[in-house]
Order: sequence, then C-alpha cells, then structure tokens
Amino acid sequence: MSYRSTMSGRATFAGLLRAEWTKLRSVRRWALALGALVVLTVLVALLSAAGSNRVRSDDGGGGGQPAVVDNSVQDGGAFTHRTLTGDGTAQAQVTAQDASHEWAKAGLMLRAGEAHGSPYAALVVTPGHGVRLVSTVDDEIAGGTGGAPRWLKLERAGPTVTGYESADGTDWRQVGSVQLDDLPRDVLVGVYAGSAQRVEVVRQFGGESVDGRMTTGRATFAQVTVTGEGTDEWRTRDGEPADVAGQVTLTGEGDLGPDLFAEDVTNMTLTGILVGLIAVVAVAVLFVTAEYRRGMILTTFAATPRRGRVLAAKAVVLGGATLVAGTVAALTAYLIATPILASKGMPTRSLGDPEVLRAVLGTGPMVAAIALFSLGVAALFRRSTPAIAVVLLLLLVPQIVATGLPVAAAVWLDRLTPAAGFAIQQTVTRYDTAIDPLPGFAVLCCYAAVVLALAAWRLRRRDA
Amino acid sequence: MRWSASPAATAVVPHTGDDGNGSGAGRLPRPGFVVFRTMQATIEVRELRKRYGPTLAVDGMSFTVSPGRVTGFVGPNGAGKSTTMRMILGLDRPDEGSALVGGVAYHRLPNPLCQVGALLDAAAIHPARTARDHLLWLAHAGGLPARRVDEVIEQVGLTSAARRAAGGFSLGMRQRLGIAAALIGDPPVLMFDEPVNGLDPEGVRWIRGLLGSLAGEGRAVLVSSHLMSELEGSADHLVVVGRGRVIADRAVADLLAAASGGQVLLRTADRMAAMTVLTRAGATVAATDRDAVTVSGLPAERIVALLGEAGVSFSGIAEHRASLEEAYMELTRDAVEFGEV
Repeated sequence: MSYRSTMSGRATFAGLLRAEWTKLRSVRRWALALGALVVLTVLVALLSAAGSNRVRSDDGGGGGQPAVVDNSVQDGGAFTHRTLTGDGTAQAQVTAQDASHEWAKAGLMLRAGEAHGSPYAALVVTPGHGVRLVSTVDDEIAGGTGGAPRWLKLERAGPTVTGYESADGTDWRQVGSVQLDDLPRDVLVGVYAGSAQRVEVVRQFGGESVDGRMTTGRATFAQVTVTGEGTDEWRTRDGEPADVAGQVTLTGEGDLGPDLFAEDVTNMTLTGILVGLIAVVAVAVLFVTAEYRRGMILTTFAATPRRGRVLAAKAVVLGGATLVAGTVAALTAYLIATPILASKGMPTRSLGDPEVLRAVLGTGPMVAAIALFSLGVAALFRRSTPAIAVVLLLLLVPQIVATGLPVAAAVWLDRLTPAAGFAIQQTVTRYDTAIDPLPGFAVLCCYAAVVLALAAWRLRRRDA
Repeated sequence: MRWSASPAATAVVPHTGDDGNGSGAGRLPRPGFVVFRTMQATIEVRELRKRYGPTLAVDGMSFTVSPGRVTGFVGPNGAGKSTTMRMILGLDRPDEGSALVGGVAYHRLPNPLCQVGALLDAAAIHPARTARDHLLWLAHAGGLPARRVDEVIEQVGLTSAARRAAGGFSLGMRQRLGIAAALIGDPPVLMFDEPVNGLDPEGVRWIRGLLGSLAGEGRAVLVSSHLMSELEGSADHLVVVGRGRVIADRAVADLLAAASGGQVLLRTADRMAAMTVLTRAGATVAATDRDAVTVSGLPAERIVALLGEAGVSFSGIAEHRASLEEAYMELTRDAVEFGEV
C-alpha cells in the first residue's frame, strides 16, 4: 500500500508569479536597491538642478526677467513689423545682405505673435543657400539659388502662407506655401534679418563643450509694402517705433529653426537614472544568479520542471517592479528638479508637452527593459560577475566614450547597443542625436527579447 | 485519511506523444490523455548513464525504491548518488536510461511537489531570506496553501526560527529547513541527500525517527549517505553504489547475515580439545587468540552440545555479528581500490 498526498496543489502561472514575487520582496537589499533607484535619480536631478546656471544669453524678447522659453527652437534676429488683420500680402526688395554667415537670413516674416517660438513663416535670402521658406511647421523649402538683391513676397490667405521670389519685381515665381494652423486673425508681418551662431563643439571623453559665437546679420530693404487691413504702425522687436519708408537697414543676431546645439533640459533632470540603473542591473542579475550560486535553482526547477515558465515569471515580476520604480523615480525627479531649473531661468518645459511626457513616462519602461535584458544575460551566464560586467559595458560604455569618438562613430555606437534605449529620454533633436526616441527604445527591447529567448532555449536544454 | 488508498483518486495528465525517456514510456497508453490511479509511491531507475566531460558519473545504475520502507543509498563520495538523484528530479538529463517516479518521468508529473519531495543541498537557501519566506515561495510555486508552510515548519521544529534569516542558521537547522521544503507537498516519495550531515546526536535521532515514520505511513523514502554507520538503525533496505554502478541491492538483514558468514566465537581454556572435537564434527576451526577460536560451519547450539558431550569446558560463546560498516567495507573494497573515488 502506498501513501497518497493529502495536498492537491495546482501549479499555475499565477502561483509562479507569486512565488517569484515572494523571492524578490523577501531579500531586503533587493527591495532597497529598487528604492535606491528612486533616491539616486532624484538626488542626481536635484544636484544637477541646483548646480546649473544659464550660460547662454536669451536671444529674443525684452524685459528684465529672463524669459523661460523652449530652447530647442531658435527664434532670434531683428524683426520690424506691423499688424495684419485677416488676409494680405507683404512685399519688399532685399537690396543688400552682409555675408556674416552662410545661413544669415534676410527677408519677410509673418508670425502669430511676439512670444518666443510662436508660429511663423519667413521667406528669406541667404548668402550661401539662396532663397528659403522657413517656418515652425515644416522642413525648409528651398527656392532659387540666387541671393540679394532679390524681390520677395509673402501672401497670407487664412492659415496658408505662400512665398514668391523675383529677380526684378515683375516676374514672380512661387517658392512654396506652408499651413500655419492656429494662426490668429491678427498677425505680425514685416522685414527680418538674422544670422546664425558660429558653433564650435569640443568633444572629449566624459563630455563636450559647445561654444557659440554670435554673428551679426545686416541687410538693407527697399519698397517695403504691406497690403491688407491693420494698423500701419511699424515697430521693432523691442517695441520702438520704426520707419520703413525708403531704404531700411536691419541688424540682428540669432537664427530661426531648430537649435541643434541646445541643451536637453528635460533629459538633464532624468539622467540621474543612469546612476540608479546600476542598482537595478545588480538586482536583475542577482535575481537569477543568486539561485545558481546557492544551488537554490535546483529547488526552483524541481518545483517547476518547465523552466521557460520560471524565466517568464521572473521576467514579469522583475519587469513590473522595475517599471514602477523607474516611473516613480522619473516623475519625482522631473517634478522636483523642474521648478528649481525654472527659477534659475533654465528653459524648462511642462509635462503637457508630448515630448516631455514621453521622456518622463518612457523612463519606467526603459528601466524595465534594461532589467529584462540584464535578467536574460544573467540566465545565460549563470554567474553575477560576467553578467553584470557585460550589461554595464553595453549600457554605460557608449555613454562614456561617445563624446570621445567622432560624431559619426558615436552615433552608430548609440544606435546599435542597448544604450539606444536612452533615446526615449530625449526631448530635443541635436547635432549628435543618434536615433529617435521610439526606435531607440525598440532597439533596447529587441536586445531584451533576443537575450531572454536565448536564455529560455538554453535553460531547457542544459542541465540545471 | 492519510492511509487511504482510495481507488477513486485519479488524475488526468496531458500526455504529448514521446516522453523521451525510453523504457518507462511503455507503461502509459498514448497519445492523448493518460488517466492513472493513485500514484504508486516508487522510484524506478533503469540503466541510467551520465557523463560529465571525461567523467562517467553514473554508469548503468538500476534500482527500485519501494513504498513503506527506508532505502539507504550508500557509496563513497563521487559514486554517483547525487547525480542519480538529480536525474530522478529531471534536473540533469540522462545520456541513457530512465528514471521514473510512480511510473512517470518527473517532468510530466502534474504537480511534482505533491508527488516527490527532495532535499538535495541544505545550503541551497538565500541567506537573506527567512525560513518562512523560503517555504512560502515554494508553496506558491506548487499552488499550495500558505498554512502548509507553518505546518511543515512546526513538523521540523523550526517554529521559533521561522522569521529569522536563514543565513544565520546552523547546518542542522538548514537540514531541517531543507526537509521542511521536501515535505511541503506531503509527497508519497521522498529523497534526502546526506540529511544527517552536520546534525548533532539529538538531530540524528530526530531524523531517524522521522524517516521511520514517513516510511511507516507508506511512503517511499530514499536516503543517501557516504557513511554506512549513519544509516544503521534507520534503513530497511540498502542500495550500495560505487563508481556509478549498483554493487548491492538488498535488505539490511540479508546483508548483515551474509557479512557475518555464520561464524561463532568460542572462548575456552582448553583450546586443543575443543578444536579436536569440533573439527571431527565437520567444522572449520581457527585459533584467533590464546584462549579463543573462531568456528564456522556449525550453529552455536550444536557447538554447545558437542562440547558438553565431550566434557570440554568453555567460558563464552557468541555468534559473530558483522556491523553494517564491515559489510559495506567488504562490498565497496573493489570500488575503492580500483576506482578514482
């Protein structure tokens, strides 16, 4: 006669999840490490916010208080304007332009308001790149290759702004048109002159320095006319009255368009996650290797002979825990550091900005994906030291050496390694941006998925 | 209830064609679903072979562990005991042969914790985890109620230490925790690898009692040791192994009788007369001491009778009883001499 168990347990995946969760929460230092992610991230954000100060001068607007503006967009230069109500046309001849910069701009501008970054369209000539129609909505539209002297015309019909150019003022050619949604009925229209900075970037291991030297754009306009309703009072950007009869000369510093050398302030508030990540990687690796080191993995696999399910349960539990920790860390760091940065005049952006929201809320999934990648590597190596070394090498080395490499090499390093996942924290596009946020995150996820699949395959085939 | 061999108890297990485990597969109809009655509490190891690199760890191991008794699994270190246990638990894949629990390969058991309990390595606990948490995750993994954790903790006498980190446990406490883990699913088959290791005399007595009572309930109990003396008094049956093979597989009583060889030790002042009388009666007599001889070929009562008739006086007579240790040494001599054990 043989014994029969009085227990009738049913092993389910839900039970397995509870088992792995019990393992994770019952080693206190692992729980503390996940808490450390939050604390370290917030601490680094606080330190960097407290130590930051605004270096670059604001390039537009007046008033004593430094304007808190979106620094990813350049909106500098001189702009002498009047109001235009409803549809109308502006026309002028650029008679001369200094070759202060190959991208110096002189021409006509129409914009929604005075505020930095408000929607605009500008039809300009440049010393090096001919006629351009630049705006806040689209990529630049290139016109003819000739520079000043040149006739320019900007036509507004509802939200559509169309640019024309002419060599003689009679024979007009359309450059292109842009749709400025949300354009109010009253807009500002006038002549514009600006010139880009000469930027020198010095990159070395551990960092970069971006050195910008202002250049002054100078252009002369003639026969400036605006047809359409509106007050015929011309003003400069500083609000001074101006006269556009006859010849007008404008001098202005600053450029239009995206700033490829802008600091990513939101990203700065989130970089502390790098420090905390080391703790997360350690926990993720130990979550597997601690079982191998002590031989507990034998108990685990004896209780659940289907080893792929054990790995899956570990992944779900660890992914969930790190997702929560990462999200809490990023939100707290952003919410604490942003007011400090703003009080120092740094160009902060609100959570309502979709790019900022994606950077802040994307940090949690990024931390989780890194944890899963670490888990897979750990299950492949079964030992802590090589697993942690490999993960940190792939994640951190690109961050450290990137600034010491030529931009082309650094960009590929950032695209091909799991470090591409950090792209989810970008909120501006810079000259050295390697990969867009979502594709970058996808690269990281691919690494995690491939490593976990390999680990599951090996677990099933190898002796425990 | 514990003793029930209820015929109504059935389990339905999904069965998917090849079970990759050779001879055992013939026991189960296939394909589709297998319905089997209350699992026979047995372990059947057939022609197991396992090589790790150049080392042949298990070389054609075959034996059966039956319910209702404690089977000792004895052999020198490196004889392949632990490897065999790992293969029974599906942790290592055999190169050849099969290991079945209740007629089924381990990895197809519907709920392994309720069928087989195993203690492989008492040190296999995370030192920062409490005893209770260690058992709790195991209970969750097996779908067992949390109250079961407290039951087995009580059963092994760890209640007062249940909420302490296992890192601070003595080896004896770890053994108890490992045994608690093995018992958590109340399984009919139990395997303990060197459970006596590191226990104090009180602990050794406790574990002997436990093994006996587990077997007494009708469970199959396999206990390994590299020291035969540890199993003396607890094992009913012995599987003696050396160099990855089974050297002997028999009941403890038989083994002792064979090792004793029916010798009788006789103490007498008149050695010469005694030898003459007994040799004439057909016995083989050897002088072992100045006043003692060893007699074989005659039972003790016949010797007493013969000496009485002949008027030879003697001061003592005793049947020689080999210890389990001697029997074991005898059996494993070859393995030790020629093996790399």
